[in-house]
Amino acid sequence: MDKVYSLHDAVAKFVESGDCISFGGFTTNRKPYAVVNEILRQGQKDFTVWAGAAGGDWDMMIGEGRVKAYINCYTANSGYTNVSRRFRAAIEKGQLTYEDYSQDVVMLQLHAASLGLPFLPVRLMQGSGLMKYWGISEEQRKTLEKVDDLKCVEIENPFNPGEKVVAVPVPKLDTAVIHVQQASPDGTCIIMGDEFHDVDIAIAARKVIVTCDELVSNEFIRRDPTLTRIFGECVSAVVHCPYGAWPTQCYGYYDNDPNALREYDKASKYLDAEDAKAQLEKAAVKAEKAAEKAPDDAKLAEAAAKARKAADDAAAGVAIPETFKDYLDKWVYSVTDHNDMLNKIGGHRLMSLRNAPHLGYSNTHIK
Amino acid sequence: MADYTKYTKQEMQAYAIAKSIKENQIVIVGTGLPLIGASLAKAAICPSCHPIVESGLMDCDPVEVPRSVGDDRFMAHCAVQWPNIRFIGFEANEWLHGGDRLIAFIGGAQIDPYGNVNSTCIYGNGDYIKPQTRFTGSGGANGIATYCNTVIMMQHQKRRFMEKIDYITSCGWMDGPGGRERAGLPGNRGPQMVVTDLGIMKFDEDTKRMYLAYYYPFSSPEMVQENTGFEIDVSRAELMEGPSPEIIKLIREQIDPGQAFIKVPKD
Repeated sequence: MDKVYSLHDAVAKFVESGDCISFGGFTTNRKPYAVVNEILRQGQKDFTVWAGAAGGDWDMMIGEGRVKAYINCYTANSGYTNVSRRFRAAIEKGQLTYEDYSQDVVMLQLHAASLGLPFLPVRLMQGSGLMKYWGISEEQRKTLEKVDDLKCVEIENPFNPGEKVVAVPVPKLDTAVIHVQQASPDGTCIIMGDEFHDVDIAIAARKVIVTCDELVSNEFIRRDPTLTRIFGECVSAVVHCPYGAWPTQCYGYYDNDPNALREYDKASKYLDAEDAKAQLEKAAVKAEKAAEKAPDDAKLAEAAAKARKAADDAAAGVAIPETFKDYLDKWVYSVTDHNDMLNKIGGHRLMSLRNAPHLGYSNTHIK
Repeated sequence: MADYTKYTKQEMQAYAIAKSIKENQIVIVGTGLPLIGASLAKAAICPSCHPIVESGLMDCDPVEVPRSVGDDRFMAHCAVQWPNIRFIGFEANEWLHGGDRLIAFIGGAQIDPYGNVNSTCIYGNGDYIKPQTRFTGSGGANGIATYCNTVIMMQHQKRRFMEKIDYITSCGWMDGPGGRERAGLPGNRGPQMVVTDLGIMKFDEDTKRMYLAYYYPFSSPEMVQENTGFEIDVSRAELMEGPSPEIIKLIREQIDPGQAFIKVPKD
């Protein structure tokens, strides 16, 4: 059966507002950005999210207000942004409904979902804040249809009386989105490099969208079944998206785009122009106070003058730094589709990200 | 001619990490200094060690310094690319089998005298739900601190070394002897040392409280106490010699030539 869809049609048909959803990949590796961008363009929202080791993918969704409940274990574009900035701002402002588990527990929960288990006992999180504190209270959980009523329960191991273990719920995923190196029209997938939790969510979810760098024939993909990782019957839609994980890595194909990840790091600091003005003004006042306290310190005086100019320039609209909203306008909303975005990135820039076969990554990054 | 006789605090810290790794150990590394330390151990001090990362990549031997634990630079040139669940199963089974080969490096924002670590959030005037400063969350650290002996990497500052931390992300010795067992954690695992930019702390066998074991040529027991927000025993402290020029040359020219994690001073 041919499951090939356009990016637009796959997202329109299989991603619905209110879905319980999980993306594949790991922080800055094989993240399914083509679909993330398309969801942002189409407007689906109110997601209950099993994020796994997340990065800019869910940070963008959080910044755009598309998340209803966020099950977190780690959110950062490691090596570029220490803590994803819209995620962080949303929590510090009390604007995100979220829960923390450890990464181990989330990965095991997603695996348990792939095995169809009713619940999962673990010997993890004991003694820590992860058990003691609930991001989403029991009362609040009961009002959230797609969030389990309990975060975790300490129980006795029935097979080893006296041993305390922790029972955690198993995710009930509506939708999984993964990006792979190769897929065929019947849905079969080849994942090169670490599969992360991608195979687990592909089995566990009711609806599965696969984007692939290369769309190959049903005959070709099974030339060596030791390479295939996902049975095609698990998959709802296959979308051909070269560089579909950009700006993150795709093993054997391309490296992450340091320019884009750095651009996002800087831009995501400010939600929008108003936020940039307010933050720069706050920074200027702080720098001026520090300089006043040490009138003989030339460096502090210089820093204060610089911060004041940046704040004034922003306030006057002369020079407002790029913001999160600008970044999204530039790379998501102003382009019509994935191919339009690739044209905007440019041929040379994309070619420079291609992996050197002898290394497994690129050594021609634009520095 | 470059001068390799002078070294930075960070280089000393990386050297201290490398020295803490023992023959044939399986070393769980993250990015940053632990990776530089483990790479140094592999290259010069303890070549028999096996670096692994929590995303499931086993026996890593990166040519270029990786930026994150899922980086293709780790993925290439490793022995096995396991998904994360296999890594978790491996560390749990090492404990179940009574093995003792694993040592893990974790970091954090706050630490208490018993080696409990916070890498989730700083409350400030708020709380866990709406903290003043929010971090990434546990990542693999909680599971690692459950099943493995750890070396904790910290910046040595009073506001980070506290009698009571806001939130325990990764359990250390809890509230002292027997604390781990009472919490349901393996009692024969726990933090072995804390490596900072001022020295190396260990944990007293009887009280499980942190004490200063080593200070560096550029630090002192007094500096350590001044920068620690709780009473710390410094009476047992010894001087740890700094790295040789050959080690510094190796770090700067071979292990982190791009200065991804260790900045070389300009003069």
